[in-house]
Amino acid sequence: MNRMGTSWQSELISRLAGAAAPTGGWGYHPGGIESSEPTALAVLALSAHEEHAALCARGLSWLASIQNDDGGVPVVPAVRAPCWPTGLCLLAWVKSQTPAGGAHDVPTRSATSWLLHTQGTPIPPDTRLVGHDTTLIGWSWVADTHSWVEPTAVALLALRGVGQQEHARVREGVRLLVDRALADGGWNYGNTRVLDNTLRPFPAPTGIALASLAGEPENACVRAAIRYLHDALHEVRSPMSLAWGLIGLSAWNARPSSSDKWLAESAVSSASRKQNCLNDALLLLAGDLETAGALLSEVG
Amino acid sequence: MGDSTTQVHTSCHGKNLSRREVLRLGGALALGGGVAGTLKWHHQRESGSRASVFIAQASGYDDDLVRVISTALAELGIGDAEIKGKRILLKPNLVETSPGQRHINTHPSIVVAVAEVFRRLGAADIVVAEGQGHRRDSLLVLEESGMDRALAGAHLPFVDLNHADFAEVRNRGTETGFSTLFIPKPVLSADWVVSLPKLKTHHWAGMTCAMKNLFGIMPGLVYGWPKNPLHRAGIAQSIVDINTTVPTSLSIVDGIVGMEGDGPIMGYPKPTGCVIIGRNATAVDATCARIMGFDPNGITYLAAASGRLGPVREENITQRGAGVASVLTPYDLVDAPHLRNVRAPRVAPETA
Repeated sequence: MNRMGTSWQSELISRLAGAAAPTGGWGYHPGGIESSEPTALAVLALSAHEEHAALCARGLSWLASIQNDDGGVPVVPAVRAPCWPTGLCLLAWVKSQTPAGGAHDVPTRSATSWLLHTQGTPIPPDTRLVGHDTTLIGWSWVADTHSWVEPTAVALLALRGVGQQEHARVREGVRLLVDRALADGGWNYGNTRVLDNTLRPFPAPTGIALASLAGEPENACVRAAIRYLHDALHEVRSPMSLAWGLIGLSAWNARPSSSDKWLAESAVSSASRKQNCLNDALLLLAGDLETAGALLSEVG
Repeated sequence: MGDSTTQVHTSCHGKNLSRREVLRLGGALALGGGVAGTLKWHHQRESGSRASVFIAQASGYDDDLVRVISTALAELGIGDAEIKGKRILLKPNLVETSPGQRHINTHPSIVVAVAEVFRRLGAADIVVAEGQGHRRDSLLVLEESGMDRALAGAHLPFVDLNHADFAEVRNRGTETGFSTLFIPKPVLSADWVVSLPKLKTHHWAGMTCAMKNLFGIMPGLVYGWPKNPLHRAGIAQSIVDINTTVPTSLSIVDGIVGMEGDGPIMGYPKPTGCVIIGRNATAVDATCARIMGFDPNGITYLAAASGRLGPVREENITQRGAGVASVLTPYDLVDAPHLRNVRAPRVAPETA
């Protein structure tokens, strides 16, 4: 895949760039309330394209403008919490290939501090109810709730991105993800067993978790997750699941040979739906290994 | 919340509990799916609280469901004069998918039939909306469940409530302690919110039906995946507060094939052969509990809703259409201490 990309990528880049709000952020849909998650991912996806450098710089500034004093970045400006997208914003500030990327040292330090001081709530273990170790601490979606897979994986990606891969919080986060892996491969939102039943894996959290574990020694749960995604992604054309799945596999050099074809099919299909900026950004990140490397560049 | 120290008519093993104690227990027991607990509200006074519930028999999803639902709505006094020009939001239960496990979600045929009925009654706008509690990728769930194809064929738009714009509104309930709730704007702008649940057991709450289905309107952007703050506040408490703040105008339950055992996801299909319809979600759920062979008084959220959100007692619910006895289908339920009050005394476990 070259940097110029294919026609679907060119169309997606134009479409995503055109969806930026006048204030600098992106909503989940054009015209929707600007939100931190699609903005961070849109900047990451567009930052490799010089013609959109100014757009990305405005996006980064917009993210900084809504950051709370404690470093957390709320989902939308109208609320102070939850701040689970903070890790993605941190990645955008430190990884975007724009001249403005280095202009955000203060929000970067502040977001790093927020991530290191924010944690999910452990729960006294009760193996009759659930299968995972409820005492391990990762990251939660919402303050004062339990740790779950996606926010933990995003925090790991971000903290690795600022060189914190040996921090005790990161090491415990890695242990949490390994503990939450399903025995037959993959991850879901974060419950392995409830009462007597083992739950099912989903592609998107599996991809995010795999990406966040890149750089760790390959182990049985990683191999099982790769096998799961290789089986599952054949049938998946939904942008979010396909893109995160491929980003996760790419992190372990296990990208299927048909990936580009699947991405093109997904992009064509999504073009017939109401535009979703988050999905557009994810497809672009998954379609361009160099750009996707922004999520993973400090690992391996 | 209101007066959190007020003694309420609440008991646990015969011991009176303050509302604060109830909330603390509910939160402490919650984890991911959350635990309903063994709390049991004494019935509120139901004087003046009456509702009608229609039970329609339907042998399968190939039945003429438009006719079935049209008949029920007519029996309930819902006609074009009431619906014409209204914006309708249909909220199916679309949780997750697994090959061959179609009984997890509201069947697409029910959704399409309900939409057609509202179209014929002159609704101005009809959307289908859901915010899955476990999966962020709603498009994948739509595709894998067959809902995507069905909605496209019926020209019905879908709204992902997890990622829609939302607003902060006053919590009109008093059970969770939340002063406000975050509600998606498409829900707030609808004239009628119609709950279209699947008739299922729930391993924490006992059952999930019209009222629990509204967990799916709460945006994941604010509450996460799973919607853990609601679980920590207590499933029953959250059900009551959400339904108090966002009352539904109508509930239509897919009870043609329900789910028994370890619901709402891992259970087995349970052919029950009926569609349950009513304006009052509490009355609908109480009726569904009886159809499943459960004691509605043992379902914590129904006991809490009794009298405040609608009637639970049989004498306060006018059954129309088929009788409960004619569709009674005892559902298997996971054997867990927190669900021991759910089974109706008249249904012996060995026969369930």
